[in-house]
Amino acid sequence: MFLGPWYILVELWKLLTPLTLIYVTLSTFIGIVIGMLPGLTATMGVALLTGLTFGFPPKDAIIILICVYVGAIYGGSRSAILLNIPGTPANAATCLDGFPMAQRGEAGPAIGLATTSSFLGTVFGLLCLAFFTPLLGRIALQFQSWEFFWLAIFGIIVCGNLTAPTDPLKGWIAGFVGLLVSQVGQEGIAAYPRFAFGFDQMRGGFALIPVLVGVYGIAEVLGVMRETVVPRVTTQIRKVLPRWRDLWQYRRTILRSGVIGVIIGAIPGVGEDVAAWVSYDFAKRGSPKPEEFGKGSREGLIAAETGNNACIGGAVIPVLSLAVPGSAPAAVLLGAMWLHGVRPGPLLMIEFPNYIWEVTAMFVLASLAMLILGLSLVRTLVKILMVPRPILMPIVLVLCVIGSFAISVRVFDIWVMLAFGLLGYPMRKYNYPAAPLVLGVILGDMADVNFRRALIRTAGDPTPFLTRPISLILVAITLVTILARSAWFRQLVAAGSARLKAALSRA
Amino acid sequence: MAYELRRQDFYAGLIFCVVSLGIVAECWRMPRDLQGWPAYAGPGVVTGLLGVGLFGMGLALTLRSVRRTGSALGITGADVRSYLTDVGTRRLGLMLGCSVVYCLLLGRGLPYWLTTGGYLAAVMFAFRAGPWWQILLISAGSTAAVAYVFNRIFAIPLP
Repeated sequence: MFLGPWYILVELWKLLTPLTLIYVTLSTFIGIVIGMLPGLTATMGVALLTGLTFGFPPKDAIIILICVYVGAIYGGSRSAILLNIPGTPANAATCLDGFPMAQRGEAGPAIGLATTSSFLGTVFGLLCLAFFTPLLGRIALQFQSWEFFWLAIFGIIVCGNLTAPTDPLKGWIAGFVGLLVSQVGQEGIAAYPRFAFGFDQMRGGFALIPVLVGVYGIAEVLGVMRETVVPRVTTQIRKVLPRWRDLWQYRRTILRSGVIGVIIGAIPGVGEDVAAWVSYDFAKRGSPKPEEFGKGSREGLIAAETGNNACIGGAVIPVLSLAVPGSAPAAVLLGAMWLHGVRPGPLLMIEFPNYIWEVTAMFVLASLAMLILGLSLVRTLVKILMVPRPILMPIVLVLCVIGSFAISVRVFDIWVMLAFGLLGYPMRKYNYPAAPLVLGVILGDMADVNFRRALIRTAGDPTPFLTRPISLILVAITLVTILARSAWFRQLVAAGSARLKAALSRA
Repeated sequence: MAYELRRQDFYAGLIFCVVSLGIVAECWRMPRDLQGWPAYAGPGVVTGLLGVGLFGMGLALTLRSVRRTGSALGITGADVRSYLTDVGTRRLGLMLGCSVVYCLLLGRGLPYWLTTGGYLAAVMFAFRAGPWWQILLISAGSTAAVAYVFNRIFAIPLP
């Protein structure tokens, strides 16, 4: 672990070829454009590019996807600042202070601060990625079927809880729908075709990319085309480079938001949007000027952008160590790694010992490209923001079709994409988060195979599910997560703590 | 306080209940001694349990919407008319219709440039994206660019 920086430098050196640098520049630019266009998210961008880069060598394909991911999470801040519309859900908190800054003529400094804090957040996240993944990987080597089953359930419950904070039931429903979607097709123990209904193509199940492109891409295209209002940029942009004094002044906020971003990123399925909100909330609580938050506070802007970009590194930690995605775009990245022959998970450190350093080096390049492009192409990016949606969205749909088709060259996948788009649109409209569904599709097979394998190993005895230490911890956290959302449990805890306080004061 | 999505939750909950019952029934019909594996390791075990879980949550959603106050649970003709005449619904229907037709036409022997170029032009015309010459230029240019980049450079077959 202590040789980590050296390994990162070695991998970075290997990546510094002209072709790779062209890929990095282009894909980060594409990511920024995808992120800044309201309606197109990082998940959709990564899913789309996964299909489009399917024929690329694995290393090139993964670096392109990482650059799109980093670029898109950052790019959303541009429309948040200039239009008061978050380009991706991850940038919703950026609107609160970015747009008021733009309104009072500080659009340039707001963009500069957002860019540098996104860069710092990404760098902090990738440092954590490099140093914590091997540690978590070693713990994950102790996981067996019982723990993997509970990990899948835990991921769905926590993800549903945090992505639907006002109505977790809908988050859990979305997660269970995802788990059930993953059950279609031949199962992993006896290859029995479930829910194939005699159709050969259903025997193979639903491929991840068409499902993802449908739920995120098609649903977004439909949602954007339904809207009649077209946003316009009216703000003048002058000086973009941030003042270092501002960054130094808010160093504690940057560090705190980085830590929060990484921790939230590492929780399965909980994405950059939650990281940004929590970082923002903590920054407000800890700020000497909380009254300025929401009215153009530089600290608020820095907190939100550092938090959401630090989340990227955090979200990739469980991808590499447990094969469980920390966020929706990380789920696509996981799928892309599988497609390209890399098997993330506990055995990664044994099968591909340098892969963590390689991924970290890719993130370094992506963050540098994001910083340079973000600070230099300000006016070009604003022009792209003005492309009318009726021109852009059908082209996006055409790309979604190619992306879904390219994986297996099956027209069936186009229909799957369309069907999941039709499912994703009402889900979004009626507050069912898409992230648990995606996580369910990824983890469904893991839950199914490990549950049955565990029972086979114990001749049908289910007690190890509740008696093994790590299993027990996962069960306890899952139960507390569910119960904590019910009113009677909260009343029970409040009454208990009141009684405890009274007893302590008497003592 | 009135809950906005009361009606939608009620019907969604019912749909989840019906679908999950169908899933449980299908799992029950799956073999329980496949290739000599014991019944507890059968292909329908986990899927069936997930179906039961979804049924419970669907039921909870339905019951919760009944208990809450908000819009009436019944759907009237006026509701349907107001939904169908809404500008957003029409735009959605138009985009959806064009996209479904486009996806259904793909892979049926029609040239890619015709289906894709036609789709792009149709959507841009329908949504009045600009003057006709601009629409034709953009749709033809985009189709050519997509076909060239993905088919010729990335060697991805086109549907």
